[in-house]
Amino acid sequence: MAYVATRGGEYAIEQAERLFRADLGPITRERVDAVRTGLPYLIDRLMGEASLYEPDLAALALAQAGGDLYEAILLLRAYRTTQPRIAVADPIDQPDLLTVRRISAAFKDIPGGQILGPTLDYSHRLLQVDVLQGNDYVPEPVIPAAKPAPATQPSLTSWQKAQGLIPNHPGETVAPEEIPDLTREPLLFPAARAHKLQSLARADTGGTLALGYASMRGYSAVHPTVNELRLAYAPVRLRHPSGTIFSAGRVRVSQTEVISKAKELQLGFSATFGWNEVKVIAAATLDLASNQPNPHPAANEEFVLYHTEPVESSGFCIHFKLPHYVTFQSTLDALRRVKTDKDTAAAKPAVTEKLAPHQEEVAL
Amino acid sequence: MAALDTTQSAELTRQPPRLMLAEPILTMRGIARIYGNVTALGGVDVTVYPGEVLGIVGESGSGKSTLLRMMNLEDTPDTGIYNLALPGHEGRNLFTLDRFERRMLRAHHIGIVYQNPHLGLLMNHTSSGNVAERLLIAGNRNFAELRERARQSLDASEFPIERMDARPNELSGGMQQRVQLAKAIALEPAILLLDEPTTGLDVSVQALVLDTLKRLQRERSITMVLVSHDLGVIRTMADRVMVMRRGKVVEQGLADQIFQDPQHAYTQQLVHAKL
Amino acid sequence: MKLQELTKPWMAFNYGFLDESAKREIRRRILKAIAVPGYQVPYASREVPIARGWGTGGLQVTLTLLKPTSVVKVIDQGSDDSVNASSIRKFVARVGGAVETEDTMAATIIQSRHRIPEEKLREDQVLVLQVPNPEPLRPVQPDMSVAREMHGDADYGQLWLVLYEQLVKSGRIMQGSSYPSMVNGRHVMTPSPIPRWDVPKLNQADHLTILSAGREKRIFAVPPYTRVEPLVFDDVPYRVEDHQDKTCYRSDVTGFFMNELPQEDGSSQYELSDSHFGVKHIRKLEAEAVEIGETWYKNGRMD
Repeated sequence: MAYVATRGGEYAIEQAERLFRADLGPITRERVDAVRTGLPYLIDRLMGEASLYEPDLAALALAQAGGDLYEAILLLRAYRTTQPRIAVADPIDQPDLLTVRRISAAFKDIPGGQILGPTLDYSHRLLQVDVLQGNDYVPEPVIPAAKPAPATQPSLTSWQKAQGLIPNHPGETVAPEEIPDLTREPLLFPAARAHKLQSLARADTGGTLALGYASMRGYSAVHPTVNELRLAYAPVRLRHPSGTIFSAGRVRVSQTEVISKAKELQLGFSATFGWNEVKVIAAATLDLASNQPNPHPAANEEFVLYHTEPVESSGFCIHFKLPHYVTFQSTLDALRRVKTDKDTAAAKPAVTEKLAPHQEEVAL
Repeated sequence: MAALDTTQSAELTRQPPRLMLAEPILTMRGIARIYGNVTALGGVDVTVYPGEVLGIVGESGSGKSTLLRMMNLEDTPDTGIYNLALPGHEGRNLFTLDRFERRMLRAHHIGIVYQNPHLGLLMNHTSSGNVAERLLIAGNRNFAELRERARQSLDASEFPIERMDARPNELSGGMQQRVQLAKAIALEPAILLLDEPTTGLDVSVQALVLDTLKRLQRERSITMVLVSHDLGVIRTMADRVMVMRRGKVVEQGLADQIFQDPQHAYTQQLVHAKL
Repeated sequence: MKLQELTKPWMAFNYGFLDESAKREIRRRILKAIAVPGYQVPYASREVPIARGWGTGGLQVTLTLLKPTSVVKVIDQGSDDSVNASSIRKFVARVGGAVETEDTMAATIIQSRHRIPEEKLREDQVLVLQVPNPEPLRPVQPDMSVAREMHGDADYGQLWLVLYEQLVKSGRIMQGSSYPSMVNGRHVMTPSPIPRWDVPKLNQADHLTILSAGREKRIFAVPPYTRVEPLVFDDVPYRVEDHQDKTCYRSDVTGFFMNELPQEDGSSQYELSDSHFGVKHIRKLEAEAVEIGETWYKNGRMD
């Protein structure tokens, strides 16, 4: 009987991909622009999780993946792998951030003020179905304040440190090339602080939220208060070989400090590309919870960082669709042998001499 | 750092004549640990003779459990030496052993029973498995033998054999302690350390477990160091007793003498409060 | 003088997709893995255009080893034609321009998910195995950091207990695939989810085996002529799957690892899992000139 050595597998996967793409139609510049202008918060979330800041590329990834966020993250991260490392930007401080939104739940008012910025926090979540009838939803114009909010804000923690409320940890000066880089080194535990914050910066928003929520509900010893939350633009400062420091542009960043009363006030921190408040609040809570002695298993550092990785978690989840029939055959074999052993033992004539229990097991 | 008071008053140390004829199996000299102002252990000497039960009694904060952990090489003092009379280890200060040597020494020569069974047992394995693990570390790879020796050890500890494949968390407190005991004696260790082995158990169960310990000790001449805050337990088990308070030995001697004629004020308090 | 004259012409990506720093890291990790057989070496593990869990670890190793003269075979569950193997093979061709093959004897690099081919591999061949979970201690210790210490201490007692308790409960070892094995007498590794049938092929093999977990970020290796011994009790022999008497309905070959195909009447049919091995036998029956390599198993047995 002839074996038709078909290239069936290769042909099938090609058609399967075509089928997916046929549904989406051509990916055009217009579509990418529409995603870019229309879905900035999704783009922000994507850039954060892909750890690659380039809104056009992010919009393209979303368009190409048809909006499947995990696919889009993989597209961007795989692209990131191909890009050369040109420079390492200079570190910046809190007063360098062009701060658009900045609030604290810890005090009624703080130096610099509670700046609400752009937010839907206090809006009524009413779906504007009129739009589907053809009537555009045009937002009311913003009424400018009499006095503009300051462009930059001092950090609340500097006040708290001056008050002696929180310890003032001395800053470390690290040469840019020496900064640990999670994308170039394996993550080992206990994790380096830089690795931990990088991991949380590009963590899956949903996974971080799930574990953060568990901590907040009591599956850990922390009771977080938002010390300070910011949405800002961070300058990207590079050094020219001649020594001049110049700006390569700005990136949107969000960050949160949470504070908790354990034996003394302790801080948890998280920052990420783009504006993603849910993630940074949850991540900062997990930072704090995982730093406690004997954390709850769901807030254990290794557990949190491993399971909030979007590319690893989604990839492994869907890998269960791959054929597993060889390992399954191995398992079946073991189970069948046990059954055969039992049948054989039952079929044997009754043994007059009673074997000691351990001898019976070896005889099988 | 304040000078350590390592003197132990001669009158308070009464030697047991008959046991003194043998060479000690365990010696600790000058065991000290200080945290800032706190003297956890202030220069303690311990001697244990083969086949005897040394009871160490004291209240919490006396340092007795810390001392036992050091005997198990789980902990190291700031200063002090520790010898066990074992072939290949004569004269060696065991606190200088590296991580692997400690593990091997603990596995082969020291048995320990903890107050908390979670410290001494692998909860996600069976009871016979727990005992077998000791034998596996010692290199035994024969399934039939592992099973049989585990059974024997559990049997000697008066553990019901029909439950030998139950997991420890399916068992009562007393049975968990028996599994710990079976595990501890599986390789016939040079010394058996017991840290409050019956504390927390029901009084009736305590008595049964102590009976087993006493019987085993007699049958096999197992050298034991038993730490307890409970004088009743010490009285039942110990040949010699060491009384500790705030990191120091205040009195030691034969059990009978300590209980009938305590010399130190603190010992008197303890003994009389109990009676 | 223009900058463009000084640089290379623009390319979408480097030869073999990974940039040189990524390849350098992987080469160094592979060397370390060979120097300490069975020890899991952590590595950064770059993202590649294939989802994690789908062979990115094996792929990174293959791409690092790749040269234009490489001859690459890719299989999944023993089959070159499976969708995942096809996808990986296509990618390697796309980024490396190496030669593709289905013939085990012709390949210089064989990337495989969950099987070792039946024809013996030679000293000049490298086997790259895809590994989902590199940690054999995972069933007794989910934390990688604690497991790492246990390997350092050679603390494998609990792993033996898992096997002991299988024997107590079921009367035989129930470990299906991924049978924990002692490498070079020091480190226990998982041979990846290959069946028990395949594990003995690694012992004192002529070829180099590299095992790579992309998602979990570990590389380990079995150098040639190295002991690989499945953990077995002295009195309970190692047992492979019961395939020595099974016959492939397509090629009529007996005594190799088979795929079981349920039939409508309730029975089972068997076909060779190593699909190209089967193809070679069919071509031979049809009087084609085809070279079939020496196999590890003979008459359904491996001594």
